[in-house]
Amino acid sequence: MASVPSKLYSDDVSLVVVLVDTNPFFWATSSLSFSQFLSHVLAFLNSILLLNQLNQVVVIATGHNSCDYVYDSSSASHHGVENRTIPALYSVLLQKMEEFLIKDEKLGKQESPGMIASSLLSGSLSLALCYIQRLFRTGPLHPQPRILCLQGSSDGPEQYVAIMNSIFSAQRSMVPIDSCYVGAHNSAFLQQASYITGGVYVKPQHLDGLFQYLVTVFATDLHCRSSLQLPRPAGVDFRASCFCHKTTIDMGYVCSVCLSIFCKHHKKCSTCGSVFGQAQADNSAVSDRKRKAPET
Amino acid sequence: MHNGEKKRLNGEAEEEEEDDLDEDGMDAWERTYTDERSWESLQEDESGLLRPIDNKAIYHAQYRRRLRSLSTAGNAARIQKGLIRFLYVVVDLSRAAGVMDFRPSRMAMIAKHVEAFIREFFDQNPLSQMALVTIKDGVAHCLTELGGSPEAHIKTLMGKLGCSGDSSLQNALELVHGYLDPIPSYGHREVLILYSSLSTCDPGDIMETIQKCKQSKLRCSVIGLAAELFICKHLCQETGGSYSVALDEGHFKELILEHAPPPPAIAEFAIANLIKMGFPQRAAEGSISICSCHKEAKVGEGYICPRCKARACELPTECRICGLTLVSSPHLARSYHHLFPIAPFDDLPPSRQSEPHNRSHRTCFGCQQSLLITGNKPGLCVACPKCKHTFCLDCDIYIHESLHNCPGCESLRPS
Amino acid sequence: MPQVRIIAKNFMDMVASLPAMKLDRLYHNSFICEAILRSLPPLAKKYVLQMIYMEGPFPAKSLEEWVLADGFSKHKVAIDRLIQLRVFMETTERKKETSYRINPTFQSNLQKHLTSGGVLPREPMPSNITVRLPSLEELDAYALEQWECFLLQLINSSQAEKLTNFSSSMIRVFQRGLLSQRDNKDAPRLTESGFQFLLMDTNAQLWYIIREYISNSEERGVDPADLISFLLELSFHIMGEAYNMNTLNEIQRTAIKDLADLGLIKLQQGRKESWFIPTKLATNLSVSLTDSSTRKQGFVVVETNFRMYAYSTSKLHCEILRLFSRIEYQLPNLIVGAITKESLYTAFENGITAEQIIGFLQQNAHPRVAERIPSVPENVTDQIRLWESDLNRVEMTLAHLYDEFPSRDVFDAACDYAREWGGLLWEDSKKMRLVVKAEIHMQMREFLRGQKQ
Repeated sequence: MASVPSKLYSDDVSLVVVLVDTNPFFWATSSLSFSQFLSHVLAFLNSILLLNQLNQVVVIATGHNSCDYVYDSSSASHHGVENRTIPALYSVLLQKMEEFLIKDEKLGKQESPGMIASSLLSGSLSLALCYIQRLFRTGPLHPQPRILCLQGSSDGPEQYVAIMNSIFSAQRSMVPIDSCYVGAHNSAFLQQASYITGGVYVKPQHLDGLFQYLVTVFATDLHCRSSLQLPRPAGVDFRASCFCHKTTIDMGYVCSVCLSIFCKHHKKCSTCGSVFGQAQADNSAVSDRKRKAPET
Repeated sequence: MHNGEKKRLNGEAEEEEEDDLDEDGMDAWERTYTDERSWESLQEDESGLLRPIDNKAIYHAQYRRRLRSLSTAGNAARIQKGLIRFLYVVVDLSRAAGVMDFRPSRMAMIAKHVEAFIREFFDQNPLSQMALVTIKDGVAHCLTELGGSPEAHIKTLMGKLGCSGDSSLQNALELVHGYLDPIPSYGHREVLILYSSLSTCDPGDIMETIQKCKQSKLRCSVIGLAAELFICKHLCQETGGSYSVALDEGHFKELILEHAPPPPAIAEFAIANLIKMGFPQRAAEGSISICSCHKEAKVGEGYICPRCKARACELPTECRICGLTLVSSPHLARSYHHLFPIAPFDDLPPSRQSEPHNRSHRTCFGCQQSLLITGNKPGLCVACPKCKHTFCLDCDIYIHESLHNCPGCESLRPS
Repeated sequence: MPQVRIIAKNFMDMVASLPAMKLDRLYHNSFICEAILRSLPPLAKKYVLQMIYMEGPFPAKSLEEWVLADGFSKHKVAIDRLIQLRVFMETTERKKETSYRINPTFQSNLQKHLTSGGVLPREPMPSNITVRLPSLEELDAYALEQWECFLLQLINSSQAEKLTNFSSSMIRVFQRGLLSQRDNKDAPRLTESGFQFLLMDTNAQLWYIIREYISNSEERGVDPADLISFLLELSFHIMGEAYNMNTLNEIQRTAIKDLADLGLIKLQQGRKESWFIPTKLATNLSVSLTDSSTRKQGFVVVETNFRMYAYSTSKLHCEILRLFSRIEYQLPNLIVGAITKESLYTAFENGITAEQIIGFLQQNAHPRVAERIPSVPENVTDQIRLWESDLNRVEMTLAHLYDEFPSRDVFDAACDYAREWGGLLWEDSKKMRLVVKAEIHMQMREFLRGQKQ
């Protein structure tokens, strides 16, 4: 895929794909209850829709065992909503969200409970990107898309490759991934996602004022971002963790065939099974050559 | 030359015409259509009526064929790819590159697509390095040294366009061989030659040079722009590369981009090895230090080599002081999808979709697009063999060519 | 891409120019708050949203801290607009410390909107009372037809198949500025701004008409503020739903008949009740306040051989294209024409410029060619410009020179006489010399002979 030429945004019509973390294991431990959180998010979604009539909001639930679309403002019809005193956004979204939560819980009962506390961020990211590609296919006149991850669960190491793949695909299609992390520690995945795609990463200090954070930072459309100062990445950790002990390392050994990372020298790659030749001798040869290179 | 003479003969009579008409005697507006050859894709049905062209289906079928050929090739030899590549791109800038059979000229067309190729190459092979060599006046020049910055290569190439003299395959190979021989054994040594000329004017025996390349395990590939040449074919056969001749601009683009994904790793070409690498941290904002690559003081935005604490501006690179390869974990991750490819999706025949248990899959799982074409007739769609979710054709292509994740499999917790 | 616009943006200026009292009263209506918010520049919207839950004044300095150096001009525009519309109130506490306070009515209205979501302005009628409501497609078609019918009547009354119920005086108000009539005998001609008007997209045109309608309202004894608030409110109704006429007041009921003529709403009558159904045009009213109104697909393909294919069923499009091209044939969904020297000369004579034509062709380029650069072939655009500059070249006119006038009086009289006949080409009053067209040489000679006697 050829890289997309950099875009100039002439107006503020936007599509925001919001990925809402619904992982019950996280919300059980959080200081902010899920319903409180949802009320902040609903007001935020409302304010996005308020800003421009053509703005579009899509909500995808990131569950513990599954992911699904919960709300799409472009297809939500006003027809068929029985109780007209409650606006469509709330009734449709809440109803679908509840259905999703029940379904997600059922899926979880089949396995041994409680070991993995992460949610399936890789799945909802992939869904969001597919949706945005569909938007791109409609022609040149589409709203400017961005993704907002509202995440609380901790990172699931088993999703690393899939999440990174999604991040690179988003980067190639110039879709920024914003992230608002409401959990206890920083999320390295989301920090990297926002850094690589040019989005914003924020970890709110006070969860009571979540709406104010959402509105001040994440309601900023891409057109405005060129003239406003938004929170900048403080320190993104790009160090790798080794495959053998999962510890973060400064220096390590990388298999030339499969790029697995090890903290110590091995005879054989545990991932791809390649047998290694004399590493040390070769390595010194490289550095010798390099050292001489500048002089000649 | 032949062409030029013909022009001179006719030219005197109709010099004025010469400006408006090209050699085929076509007007400018006619030419845009001859290039596209849109009428060739028209098809007739039994009664001689024109069939509507379903470009989407044709395009998708082509993509499927490509995907299948890739996946079968991958299965035959274990999924091991040469991820660390050292590639020399040799651009033939001899007289032949000025021929105008590609528009505006071979040289300009090559430059345009090499630029795209360089970007694609570094996008797919973040840990690899590339260098550019040109052949001009019978001599090969090294335009850029092995490096990992796409912008530097593109800038130099664009500044050095201009063609003259003969072409020499041997000189180019000797030069590249000299550079690639000392590369560490885990690296894949590759040469990609974009050859416009129909001859080679060499100082010595080219067969010896080819044998030398073969011994040093240089994988040489050639894309020709004129016609098939024996010597190029021989070179590619001997060194295990691929040889192809571009039919037109679109074909050339396709051929050159085929060299962007990493080639299958063949044990005899590169020895598996553990490479010592450093994962530097970003320097704190506002800190001032002298960077080792530009040799000047810079503020913030830098990376510190974990071994010798020298500062580098960009990743990936090799530390100028201690020679340690410096990468960040996203660079490694960018290559992982080559190692864990997702299985091609299965076609769903329209009949199966009407079965009751498939009724729920009326929208694409990925993008929520309706899979029903107007009149409730099901459109073409595909399904993931693992998670059984259905996808539309557009998502299928996006998932396999850019995303490299199956959204269905990713949104199920593996048990 | 600079869009040719005569007024579209000025509607908000009109709102801004309302007296403070009326403006504040308008903000009591939450729909107006919403529409005003949407009309603001992107940066201004963000400021409002950011301050929506802030009590008390907010120092200007802390707002500026967010702005990057490149964005400062945009920041100024945004703040100016907010103050102009009295959304922000500037207060100066102590010395030099400017701070802004958000208009409390505006603020509380938006707060309500955020927490409770958009509430409908009025309840749609239950479907058991209304019979056979039109489908959305039918409604779109109706709105488009009505609007085009109105436009056709506006630019060329004889072409329109059926006339709207607007009084001819009302139509003349709309035509003001768009058409010019040299004589009563001549058919009125499009002025330059009239052509620009036709080039605008539907929403911008709609606002132009609505603006004229509103500014004319005082003459009809209607308060413009009432009309503005009703129109904006109308844009928040749900398209395709039926609303009871009883819910409207007297002013609104008269207004709604005019709006039906424009295609904004469709009126229907049941056995007992009557109701109105808003169309796409009505619900888009508040969209057109913003710049996003350009999101429309083009339909014209221009080839390098000067042929033009317009994929359109609209008679209006055909009329517009006829202004500068020769229409060759019309198929149900396709208009084929050619851009010729003659057709362009007629256009130039009417005061249409080459740039306007090129701009129109580029803006309405069919999606298949819009991706190409340039979307209109270069040789065509160049030729259009060349033909325009052709008209500005030397023109040959047979003429006669008169000099050695006996007195200034005779010279002046001769000049006046020549001017009357429209044959004066050049005069030099100092040296008393005069050049007239060859056609009036005979009359001129007669006249001078008469003067001598």
